[in-house]
Amino acid sequence: MATELRYESGTLVADVLADERPPPPFVWDGRTRQWRAPAGAYRETVLRLREAGTPFADHAARFDRLRLESRVAMEPRPYQTEALNAWRNEGLRGVVVLPTGAGKTAVAVRAIERAGRSTLVVVPTLALLKQWYSVLSDSFGHAVTVGLVGGGYHEVTPLTVTTYDSAYIHMERYGDRFALAVYDEVHHLPAEKYAVIPKMLLAPYSLGLTATPERPDGGHDLLPDLVGPVVYRRSPEDLAGTYLAPYETVRIPVKLTAVERVEYEVADAVYRDFLKKHRLSIRSPEDWQRFVMVASTSHSGGREALLAARRRREIRANAERKGVTLESLLKQHWHDRTIIFTKSVEEVYALSERFLVPGITYETPARERKEILDRFREGRYRAVVASDVLNEGVDVPEADVAVILAGSASRREYVQRLGRDLRPRENMRVVLYELVTEGTGEEAASRRRRETVP
Amino acid sequence: MLRAEHVIARYSSGALIPHRLSPENERVREVADALVGLYADHAGKPKRDLEADLALLEEELGPRLDARRGFRILRALAKLLEERASWAPPTEADPYTLRTRVFELAAAMPELPAADENLLGSSTREEVLSHVARETGVEGVVSLMHADRQGAQVLAAFEAPLSAEELVERYNVAQIQGVLYGARNMTVDLGRGADARLVFRYVKLLGLIYALETLDGEAGAGHRLRLDGPLSLFGGTRKYGLRLAKFLPGLLLTAPWTLRAEVAWKGRDAILELDSETSGLSSHYSGPADDEEDDTRGAFLKAWERAKDNAGWVLEEGAGIIPLPPLRAALVPDFKLRRPPGDEEVHLEILGFWSERHLIERVALVREAQARGHRVLVAAPESLGTSPETLREATSGEVIPFKNRLDVKSVLAALGS
Repeated sequence: MATELRYESGTLVADVLADERPPPPFVWDGRTRQWRAPAGAYRETVLRLREAGTPFADHAARFDRLRLESRVAMEPRPYQTEALNAWRNEGLRGVVVLPTGAGKTAVAVRAIERAGRSTLVVVPTLALLKQWYSVLSDSFGHAVTVGLVGGGYHEVTPLTVTTYDSAYIHMERYGDRFALAVYDEVHHLPAEKYAVIPKMLLAPYSLGLTATPERPDGGHDLLPDLVGPVVYRRSPEDLAGTYLAPYETVRIPVKLTAVERVEYEVADAVYRDFLKKHRLSIRSPEDWQRFVMVASTSHSGGREALLAARRRREIRANAERKGVTLESLLKQHWHDRTIIFTKSVEEVYALSERFLVPGITYETPARERKEILDRFREGRYRAVVASDVLNEGVDVPEADVAVILAGSASRREYVQRLGRDLRPRENMRVVLYELVTEGTGEEAASRRRRETVP
Repeated sequence: MLRAEHVIARYSSGALIPHRLSPENERVREVADALVGLYADHAGKPKRDLEADLALLEEELGPRLDARRGFRILRALAKLLEERASWAPPTEADPYTLRTRVFELAAAMPELPAADENLLGSSTREEVLSHVARETGVEGVVSLMHADRQGAQVLAAFEAPLSAEELVERYNVAQIQGVLYGARNMTVDLGRGADARLVFRYVKLLGLIYALETLDGEAGAGHRLRLDGPLSLFGGTRKYGLRLAKFLPGLLLTAPWTLRAEVAWKGRDAILELDSETSGLSSHYSGPADDEEDDTRGAFLKAWERAKDNAGWVLEEGAGIIPLPPLRAALVPDFKLRRPPGDEEVHLEILGFWSERHLIERVALVREAQARGHRVLVAAPESLGTSPETLREATSGEVIPFKNRLDVKSVLAALGS
């Protein structure tokens, strides 16, 4: 046998006869006296060797064939089928661009089924890690154990979900085990650091998913090299009306109680006075740090200002009427599926303990998260409190009612997406409540949010 | 090791100067003392309390230490202490089981469990909780239902408490390591007298690839190692920066050396330079424990110096390095012997009381070196438990068995003089 291919720490090594040289991109590594290429050159190398009729032994690939058939009944939407076909025609490579809420995950599940081989799914956040774990377990859990690498998990199986950060660190050890790499939110991949990931993977097949491939730094030009060209693209406008659910928003102003009001105003006055005296304005976390710095080094009134600032926040977060309003909403919708969103993780646990409904935050273990959402879907749990995990790509569980506890100035997409993503039961309309504490900074945040919502 | 957001360095015309704290500085000592004390006092208390106290300390001492970066410095110091803390759950009950039962029961109620008793007599929150308490025999269900959260864990142990000075030393090394996270490669010039074997041990351990050159500088002969990783061949990558950072404390165990790393720093290319002479840094790695081997080596060196007739052989100061690229390793034998005028070269490797794995690894290196035409004598203590015949076969070379001390005569005999 003339040529032998081996996988070594994220690279592909070719052993050839003394006077031969393997095709590019193999280069001679003088450090270790071997012909070496990035592992990502595997597909190209094998195709070239086959084409040239060169006999070779493949000791590199260690991926398995998987007999996968999703057990989740899905009626594919026509554009999902089109996307999948476009990806197949490109040789099981490429990027699919679909708006949020259009079911990118469903496309990936079918792509994994189609490839029928060991698959690595790479995602940007821990929330998405857990979500993919849940989706893949639902679809293929009967046939294969789903593995996780990242967020405290380290279990590699033929169907593994990992984060970009963990893939960057660990994949040189496992890069020979996967035939298909799925990159969720693939616009992250061209970052200098993450662009190494496909180089470490033999994976001859790859699928990128995103709503917005474009990067301000022009990095999207690298995508064709890293995962393949854009093979399918639909905008939100293309799909609006037919596939994305309508919703109704109800804004509920929450007034502070008289006692809270007085206390808030006192604290607020102390705090603002200090800001004015020192010509400070708070617009960003850095401004806040500067305020703390000035206050803690100031000889007069600094400590008081710090305490007032903290008190002010506490009052706002714990406004009594907010809790009572939420309680009445929960009562009113006890027979619907209600999901409550809040910005603060601590608040999730406080509400969970107060109303005895399960909470979901980034701290929730993957298996428990899945269990909670499964039970919520089945109606065994009536409500779920979740921290603001909707920033990127995380699917909102199917719900009839959503309550946003304000306190964060979110982007306009926030409410839009929430409205779109909540899938109501048949013939029902999603209701989205927004609780805003009046007379505090929350009002402005909510106004900003509403003004841009159509 | 610090998180990237803790790393502070100054960029000055292409060079990077990592942040350093002086242990002599009064404010630095105040901060270090306060932090060490904070951890020491927190045994058995929950993490969220410690974090709240840390936040207070940050606000109080941070700006006094450094107006701009005080926060970050404190957080970095705390991170280094955190690495030595271990946390344990505050209860033997399983919080997951508790809360799941609570949620199930509450959801089974026909309406939201009421906060207080009411005239309608509907089920209350209290009823759900006491039901679960009865079922599980756990008191205080609400306070324990999320006791597996990080913040609820209690400080169980604080391993090897640091003094304030040690914390500052650790910080100074950690900041340099932090800068090295962005390193594309590292060049280390090892001077004569540096423990090359130790250095190669860390190179191998960390899966780095080296290229080796021999130096003949004014400071005497030495070796230049260029370190990076498999993928570096295709253009500089920062992927091995973390490993180069972990390599540094290993290097700090020996001297003399100089180091130069190409580092990506905030979108710019920069150089980090360091040397054993002026760095004033100390390692927190303990290094390999091979006292006994050192004894054998030292005794042999003395015996050699005292010996009247060495048959023209010269024992060279500083070991030779035999690079073995396909094994991604190098053999650094204990001694190099040279005989003028032909400058015939022979290496002497003394085996120690190593683990079996270590022994097999070392024997493989000797074998590979022999195959490449280097002559390596292997001195093996009888207590090793491996017969000279077996070793001879395994190393395909000459083996000198010895009892307690390796004597000069048997070495000379093996040299064939």
